[in-house]
Amino acid sequence: MKKKTYLGKLSVLITLLVVILLPLGAQGAKGTQDNISYFSGRVETVEWDTQQVENFEKLNPSIKVEYEFQKDASNVIKVKIASGQVPDISTVVTQDFIDTGLYMDLSDQPFWDRILPSVKDLCTDLKTGKQYKVATNITMGGLFYNKQLFSELGLKDAQNWKEFVANLEAIKRAYPDKTPLFLGGKDSWTLGHLIEFWAHGVAKQQLGIPGSRQAFLDNAVRWDAPNGIMENFAKALLELRDKHLINADAITATYDNQKEAFASGEAAMINQGMWVVGDIIKLNPKMETNIGFGPFPSVVPGLKSMVLCAEDSVYAVSATTQSPDAVFAFLEYLFQPEVQKSFSETRGIPSSFIDVEADWSPIKDDATRLVNSYVNINFSTEAPSGLSVDDTGRLIQKLLHGDYASPAQFAKEYQKIWDSAYATSN
Amino acid sequence: MQPAINKHRFLHPNTGSWHRYMAVPALVLFSLFFLYPLSRGVWTSFTAWDGFSTPKFIGLANYKEFFQDSRALRDIQNTVLFALGSAPLLNIAGLLLALLLNRTFKARTTVRSLLYLPAVISPMIMGSIWYLLLQPRRGLLAILLQQIGYGSTSNWMLSGSSAMIVIVLVNVWQYAGMTMIIYLAGLQAIPIEHYEAAELEGASRGNIFRFIVLPQLTPALKINVITNIIGSLSVFDAILALTDGGPGYDTESLSIYIMRMCYGNKTGYSTAVALILFLIILIPVLFSLQFFNAKEKA
Amino acid sequence: MMKKRDALTYPLYPVVLVIALLALIPFFFLFVLALKNQEGGLSSIRLIPDFNWTNFPNAWKAGDLGKAMMNSIIMTGGGIAVLIVFSAMAGYTIARFPSVLNRIIFAILLACMMIPGIINTVPLYTLLIRLRGINTYWAMIFVMATNALPFSVFLYSSFIRSIPISLEESAIIDGCSWFGAFWRITMPLLGPVTSSVVILQGVGMWNNYAQAVFFLQDKAHRNIPLSISLFFQQYGANWPLMAAAATLGLLPAVLMFIFFQKFFISGITTGSIKG
Repeated sequence: MKKKTYLGKLSVLITLLVVILLPLGAQGAKGTQDNISYFSGRVETVEWDTQQVENFEKLNPSIKVEYEFQKDASNVIKVKIASGQVPDISTVVTQDFIDTGLYMDLSDQPFWDRILPSVKDLCTDLKTGKQYKVATNITMGGLFYNKQLFSELGLKDAQNWKEFVANLEAIKRAYPDKTPLFLGGKDSWTLGHLIEFWAHGVAKQQLGIPGSRQAFLDNAVRWDAPNGIMENFAKALLELRDKHLINADAITATYDNQKEAFASGEAAMINQGMWVVGDIIKLNPKMETNIGFGPFPSVVPGLKSMVLCAEDSVYAVSATTQSPDAVFAFLEYLFQPEVQKSFSETRGIPSSFIDVEADWSPIKDDATRLVNSYVNINFSTEAPSGLSVDDTGRLIQKLLHGDYASPAQFAKEYQKIWDSAYATSN
Repeated sequence: MQPAINKHRFLHPNTGSWHRYMAVPALVLFSLFFLYPLSRGVWTSFTAWDGFSTPKFIGLANYKEFFQDSRALRDIQNTVLFALGSAPLLNIAGLLLALLLNRTFKARTTVRSLLYLPAVISPMIMGSIWYLLLQPRRGLLAILLQQIGYGSTSNWMLSGSSAMIVIVLVNVWQYAGMTMIIYLAGLQAIPIEHYEAAELEGASRGNIFRFIVLPQLTPALKINVITNIIGSLSVFDAILALTDGGPGYDTESLSIYIMRMCYGNKTGYSTAVALILFLIILIPVLFSLQFFNAKEKA
Repeated sequence: MMKKRDALTYPLYPVVLVIALLALIPFFFLFVLALKNQEGGLSSIRLIPDFNWTNFPNAWKAGDLGKAMMNSIIMTGGGIAVLIVFSAMAGYTIARFPSVLNRIIFAILLACMMIPGIINTVPLYTLLIRLRGINTYWAMIFVMATNALPFSVFLYSSFIRSIPISLEESAIIDGCSWFGAFWRITMPLLGPVTSSVVILQGVGMWNNYAQAVFFLQDKAHRNIPLSISLFFQQYGANWPLMAAAATLGLLPAVLMFIFFQKFFISGITTGSIKG
């Protein structure tokens, strides 16, 4: 009996030793360097980021930047945070993280003098009036259209819903084989963006950007009001479906299909953001001069057409960073005008620094025109964080599929998931 | 078995008892990298936790919420439906393939490798390729059919049940080779003399299969049945790639729901759902084990 | 029997051919996709590829696949080695000595096979930070081996039960210890089931993304699936490069299968399993 337990214990001990000693061997000696972690979810700039980190380290040999790119950044950062490992610099920022106090107050940083005031406003936390993130760029979203087709048929930016439907019908009449408005609904976030742009946009226009941000925070918008925003939105989409102005496979086509349909000329219009432009040109280089960019109409009568114009490429700094000096040295390097110029051109979106002149995209002129002529709306940063565009897009899949008895029922469902996400995060 | 061992222990008292504790290292490894984290995970199932702020203990509230969660209940239905299609089909296909490829013919090794190939590639990539081929209206198959005059506007993705059939078939395509490998290992453990003896006595093919092959295949059958039950009830990648759980949530599985909740600010709730999924898997597995153990003893 | 088989061989070929083609169709399109030009997109895929071979070197470079390949080989090899040692020993003991302890161990392992792994993610990550296992080979090796342990123990114990105990008993009568009997008599008979473990679990380790995404953060430790994920962008994916990378990443796994499947067959024919 004695021998038995002895041997049993011995094998436990040996295994434990192996398991414990291995990690010790893996530990290397650490120098006096400042190590900072830079966590990014931006796949388009992996090479750019790697290059910049290299350049920076050459200039600052005492600082080591551990750059980490993750495709599933929004998931990975949650696991990191849950384990108490907030990256020193992160490009993934949500309202929840700010509320939890994970990020450092950046209000006193010198770079704000160089950033467009409207972008600074969008970076301001409503609850505290401080800035916990900085956005180096602006992105825009709206309706991309085939320029050639529009000029051939004499079509112009729609100023209201009626004009929009008339435009689509004119395309349908002239080219029965083409899809007037193409949706890639299998990737449900593309449908979620319809809510984000077309429906949330109405509330933002009605209440103004600061007003709507506060209303979202307080859950004060009644989405399911009779004849309200969501009911009108559902009616509008069903009208497009019933008049065959969207593709018949709107629910099962993918984002790739959407891009390709537009690049090949099969689709006259798509609802997207600036991130789509580079891919379209890659698919069909001839499109470079043929991409028009216009506003989207209001689904509620009596309001102006809108364009999404929001902060992009954000950075936040951990509130508990061990080397704030190194962190800000790196940010200072990144925010230099010539570095930001190359970033803006790599991503194909405008910079929010007033001293950066970049040639960022073939739709630059259209973009400037839209910003000046239409109502600018922002991203719904203050919407409950549990409410993803992926989830809201699924409601539209169901709507187009005919799962709801009426537009009013769709509105009720939307209110329900909004409320439930709000309850979870408050 | 037991008496025989005791007898030898008695005869050879010096052999020690090492051999009785050879599972302990595995247990230690498992405790550190699985059981310990698991215990922490189980604890979070009793908390309201968004994944980043401090968890709040709420007792059984997550479990209660589950039974009022219509999306979760719908997902159970989807998952069970998928498993009912996938697990039996995988076993049948795997066994038929193994029987076929256990024969001697030229290029047998190559064909085995080909059939196993689908299991080698990540299911996410393969699912995406299948979607390219099978996509309604735009997929390559649809286009080819159109060109030879069989154009159809039907859309399998629009109804939960037809989408589920496609998902099951793709999953069977991917993992039949894996099931086959286990059956082949089982078939090859049957001594050739057994066949020869039966041949000499003039047994029919059917009888050889029933009385010689099948009883010897029991361990392989047991492994396949159990792993296919577990695999099918935790289906994830095939659905994500083919339908993304849509339209709406009509083809979402419980595993996908757990993942979406876990990273969707309901981390505490997601662990509770994961443990419920564990129970859902446990029940059929226990039944199968009971069945096979009775068989092994008989 | 042999004669009958030969008679059946001829009608067998068409059936086998159809099945083999069915298994290959998506791979054909993976290959077509890997040879596609960037222009035109997915909807322009047809049966005849574009033969844009540059996708392969481009994907190799952009995904740093050489490094990733080495990393995957080290981690999969290490994971498999750890797995086989631990699970063969455990499987043997559990099959031969159903003591209370061994039954409990088996029940725990079996039960954990059914627990969705996602539940462990956060606590395991926290643990590995404390053990300094992030961005190390050994942590991935142990974690992957641990995850594969239940199934492998199950596999070993099932097959060992089907091997007659009389072989070991006769060795013991000849003066061998049980432990010696396990290493000298039983282990050599486990060739086929070991190859099954290698084939079945090796693939899982080779394709590991669920753990790798959290535990391998720096570029130097990226495995194949993480490198492939570089071609999936936030919006959409670069399909041709992704397919080229996936095709290249597939090759070692296929070679591993072909190698072990030979062993898996010869293990049986040289083994002395007789009733």
